[in-house]
Amino acid sequence: MLSRVKSNLINIATGITFCAALALGAGGAQADPNLKGKKVIFVPIAAGLTLTEAWSRRVKQHADYYGYSFDIRDPAFKMDAMSELLAKAISDKPDVLIVHNPTVQLLTRQIKEAESKGIRVVQINLQSNQPSTAYTGANWTRIGTEIAEDIVKECGAGSGKSGEVSIIPGQLTAADSVMLNQAAFKVFAAHPEIKVVSNQASDWEPEKARQITTTVLQQHPNLCAIFGHWDVHTMGAGKAVKDAGLEGKVIVYATGGGDDKTCQAVEDGILNRVWSYDADGQGRDLADLVDIVLQGGSAMDHSMLNIDSPLTVIKLGPDYDKHLCFKL
Amino acid sequence: MASVTASVRKGQRRGSLLEYIVMGVTVAIVLLLSVSVQGFATLGNLRVIASNSAALLILSCGMGMVIISRGLDLSLVAVMVAGAATFAAFSNAGYSEPAVVGLSLLTVAALGLANGWLIAYVEIPAMLATLASAMVIAGVFRFAVLRGEFLLLLPPDNPAVVFFSKDIAPGLSAPVAAMIITFVVTWILLRFTTLGRITYAMGDNFQAARLIGLRVRPATLMIYMYAALTALVAGLVIAASSGTVDFRTVANGSLLYEVILVVVLGGIPLRGGRGGMRNILVGCALIAVLRNGMTLFDLSTQTQDMLKGVVLIIAVATDNYFNPRDTETDTVGDL
Repeated sequence: MLSRVKSNLINIATGITFCAALALGAGGAQADPNLKGKKVIFVPIAAGLTLTEAWSRRVKQHADYYGYSFDIRDPAFKMDAMSELLAKAISDKPDVLIVHNPTVQLLTRQIKEAESKGIRVVQINLQSNQPSTAYTGANWTRIGTEIAEDIVKECGAGSGKSGEVSIIPGQLTAADSVMLNQAAFKVFAAHPEIKVVSNQASDWEPEKARQITTTVLQQHPNLCAIFGHWDVHTMGAGKAVKDAGLEGKVIVYATGGGDDKTCQAVEDGILNRVWSYDADGQGRDLADLVDIVLQGGSAMDHSMLNIDSPLTVIKLGPDYDKHLCFKL
Repeated sequence: MASVTASVRKGQRRGSLLEYIVMGVTVAIVLLLSVSVQGFATLGNLRVIASNSAALLILSCGMGMVIISRGLDLSLVAVMVAGAATFAAFSNAGYSEPAVVGLSLLTVAALGLANGWLIAYVEIPAMLATLASAMVIAGVFRFAVLRGEFLLLLPPDNPAVVFFSKDIAPGLSAPVAAMIITFVVTWILLRFTTLGRITYAMGDNFQAARLIGLRVRPATLMIYMYAALTALVAGLVIAASSGTVDFRTVANGSLLYEVILVVVLGGIPLRGGRGGMRNILVGCALIAVLRNGMTLFDLSTQTQDMLKGVVLIIAVATDNYFNPRDTETDTVGDL
């Protein structure tokens, strides 16, 4: 009988130990990132654009879930307002500052100032010359190279086309236009049959892009390709191509956030090939990156953390799917 | 009586030296471009220049009339985009085409009326009133119609897009036709109607016009309403051709600058009272040809803006040199 009691006791002890281990193990494996009360401020180039709205939506979801505050300061495209808003944001001492750089040079001093004050700066989609804690966004050099190589394949030696290309940046000093043009011209330098006949900035406006393209098409009716640096203003160029009756003869390349309007434009033949960096996915990357940085994440050698956005090429054909684009 | 009419007519001719200088410069630029750029002096290129400048000329007709009356409408581009946004909103909401057109006209006329009322009855100086109304109109319409967005992409089945993409007659596109019609209507208004005479009188000497009993206040209302209507037409032309309604054209300011440049370069002085449709045509021709040439030479936007500024300075300085102000031409409160 004593042996029965002893074996029962051993069983019960084992059971209790086992349950205790289970409970402790279950409780100890998951850390609780206490981000409540932390402050995140976002200074975009302008709110009210599909790109910035898509990013803000995702970050807000994470902010609401984790309990940190997310504040957007809107300069509405004005550069001087942006510098002032950034200065005010720095003085508000947030934990993370998300910055969207209009040019590579404009905000370098302020980013450096913020980092030195212990504010972690995350740059989104447009880099500055000044590195900071982290960057997530499109790899413009890769996009420029890939589009240029596609242009060479379609318009270069052996294609039977004229090799004439028109480039339409947003602004020549904007971060993406600088890098896209650098990458594209590097590719074109190795292929002298490609001639860039126009490199006129359209100020991100579809109407200006349309007027530039109408004029260029008049002078160069054998134009082979148009490379626009943003899908929205390139739609103006695409319309000009359609109005001139050259649809299908001129290939309209663009790059952008890939919202449903872009897919509609591709279906309508206004844009032909769009390198989409999926603004909605970028929003999720940005939100994740903010969560990581808020929990103390940074590169081990204090360089800039770099998360490149994956790319999708949207064009009509067997791979085309409406769901390649997101709806805001 | 004959001598009075003769001197009045002479008065309308004086100060038009700038117009001749600008015409000469335009011809010089056209010759230069015809020689140095292949394909410039072709009918196709002329059509391109015309379609690219349609909105500019339409806006200049409205602005020209306002400036002749010694006013200034800085809200013209804001009204233009607001009108296009209203049109897009009503057509998206599913109203019938005549209803959409009528409602847009009413909205835009109301905006012009508001401007005119501020200037005629509340007696705020035109520059300040329209500067303020520009910001209010742009803000209100952007948030009411576009919910804070800057850009509205128009679907290809939008009635304005469909209408303005067509050719009214072979070789004559709808925007160019709209341009010609607005030009002719403004010419008729200025030359042959009482409103036109009152406009010139107001510009020449506002107090005298008021004292001799001309109905200057209703005339002011009508002038600003007409300007707003031309802005709506221009807005539809731009919205149809580019496929978007873009509120950044308001914030950008370059279109408004170009419109004022066209009017001033053409020879209509900002103090009003002189000038006519020929001045607007001449000014628009120079700016259109200049823009086309700069694009063909692949000049950057910054260089283009710089050149336009230099052209304006040279034009105004030349006019001042050949037409120095004397006690007769100098008016109080000159801009």
